[in-house]
Amino acid sequence: MSTRVRFLLSTAALLCLVALMTVPAAGQGGRGGGAGAEGGRGGGRGAGVPPAGPIPRRADGKPDLTGRWDGSGGVLHNTVILEDHPGGFGIQSGKSLIVDPADGVIPYQPWALAERNRRRDDANGYEDQVGHCEIYEIARLASFAFDIAHASDGNGIIHHTQHITRVIDMNRRQHLPDGIRLWNGDTIGRWEGDTLVVDTTNLNAKGRMALGGDFYSADAHLVERFTMKDSNTISWTLTITDPKVFTRPWTMTSAVPMARRPPADNFDGEDTCHEGNVDLVHLKNVYDQAHGKGGAATWPPQYVQPPGGTR
Amino acid sequence: MRTRDLRVLIVLVAVGAAALFGTAPAAQAPAGQAYAPPRTAAGHPDLQGVWRAWNLAKYDLEAHGAKPGVPAGLGFVVDPADGRIPYQPAALKRRAENSAGTKDPDPWKNADPLVKCYLPGVPRITYMGWPFQIIQTADVVTFNYEWSHKKRQVPVTAKVPPPPSPEDVLNWNGVPRGRFEGNTLVVDNTNFNGYAWFDMAGNFSSAALKVTERYTLLGPDTLQYEATMTDPKVFTRPWTIRMPLQRQKDVGILDYECTAMLDELGIHHTWPREFEPPDL
Repeated sequence: MSTRVRFLLSTAALLCLVALMTVPAAGQGGRGGGAGAEGGRGGGRGAGVPPAGPIPRRADGKPDLTGRWDGSGGVLHNTVILEDHPGGFGIQSGKSLIVDPADGVIPYQPWALAERNRRRDDANGYEDQVGHCEIYEIARLASFAFDIAHASDGNGIIHHTQHITRVIDMNRRQHLPDGIRLWNGDTIGRWEGDTLVVDTTNLNAKGRMALGGDFYSADAHLVERFTMKDSNTISWTLTITDPKVFTRPWTMTSAVPMARRPPADNFDGEDTCHEGNVDLVHLKNVYDQAHGKGGAATWPPQYVQPPGGTR
Repeated sequence: MRTRDLRVLIVLVAVGAAALFGTAPAAQAPAGQAYAPPRTAAGHPDLQGVWRAWNLAKYDLEAHGAKPGVPAGLGFVVDPADGRIPYQPAALKRRAENSAGTKDPDPWKNADPLVKCYLPGVPRITYMGWPFQIIQTADVVTFNYEWSHKKRQVPVTAKVPPPPSPEDVLNWNGVPRGRFEGNTLVVDNTNFNGYAWFDMAGNFSSAALKVTERYTLLGPDTLQYEATMTDPKVFTRPWTIRMPLQRQKDVGILDYECTAMLDELGIHHTWPREFEPPDL
């Protein structure tokens, strides 16, 4: 199938998902209405946000990151492709989010680039976990608005993002035992000066970073850095180290610096997606065409693994 | 001997009081308030932590005998005193049909919405056996569930407007509004879509359901959970369940992606999305 069709399908799936996730009761005979607490789209971006000032601080002197933030720049194309990409085929052009290496290209090993491209093929779009209403990967979450809160026990920081709440354990210094593998890994946090450093391991390598098939292995080590620049701006970077998949560590950032948005004030939405996921059947039809009816021989996805495997 | 008699008398009075007051929350309040919970900076009872219901409520909220794979249990309905959910006659028939529809483990054919990995509803999400984490800020209590990374955000400030009209918003888990009464977090849930069940036995409601939950710390590691269900279309009167939740100290919540488990079993979840509200 052509690239054009691929992107149209992918984009249709993405838009359907976004719609499903932001309209409560979509696909369930619901009658639309109330805006969801998720997403933070439209609706006077920037309005209701006071002018930027000095970094707000908590009682312990650390930056107070509380609030709603959005690093998407108002578009979602980077959930499709992380690197430089032209416009057309239903998506806007976009600059690479990769800031290191300087060429903006993810430094895949040759086998891994082949596997990334296999996943990118429209015939395999059905493998994407987000199309199944499953978890958004960490880099993918950064393309949407989210909330940060410092929990009142002082040790948790929360992201409320595209259904996902990440609780960052600020007290634990050791990751969980190797045997525990999680979709978005085990996350612990620490402060380095004014930067919140969020450290993730124990991944299960079942997801992908974008509709375009980017991925890392279960051995990956992810380090996010949240650095407040002023009261309305957070710089966010994600550095991925995974010698099984990449030739060197690499770093990405958000489409624009994460900007403060008006705080969430609507708690009436619900994170339904699977309940109304009528779009999945279209992705499966494409998959079946390529893999034989039912895809029985290849389902669940048989991902190519790093030479020598992972832990 | 006198002591024993006294004990019997106390038990009888307690049972009588529970029967008299019906909604046992009132009768329970003194027990809950015997423990002074820690407080958050906002002055609220600090319920934070990871909690889990280790019990048989997921199988059947009512007393039931053993079935294949299901241990017998005494049930969790504390009001009415007979432990039975006060169904109207037509609804009882529907419950029997629901239960009969749970025999086939194939999600495509099983009537239980949870087998299809649909949102479990309230209160079912509390006692399915997966842990959940309570996280508090001054304005919002977040319930972060390990099951399919679901969450509920309960506003506990007067700044939040009342729930929207059911004409506008109908949710599987309803729309929550919370408040603190003494040491108890009270959550009123409305705007249900009526598709969720209460357990694997087919107990159910309509979209007219209202659920009032009460979370009260009985000690450092025990959280009493209580839920009162009101639905004049299905029940003859409100009814209440109660159970303790245990604090989990080993680790925070992990993950359980329900639909991904279907994927791994080779089950495609591409069935038509056809939802029928309970037809009574």
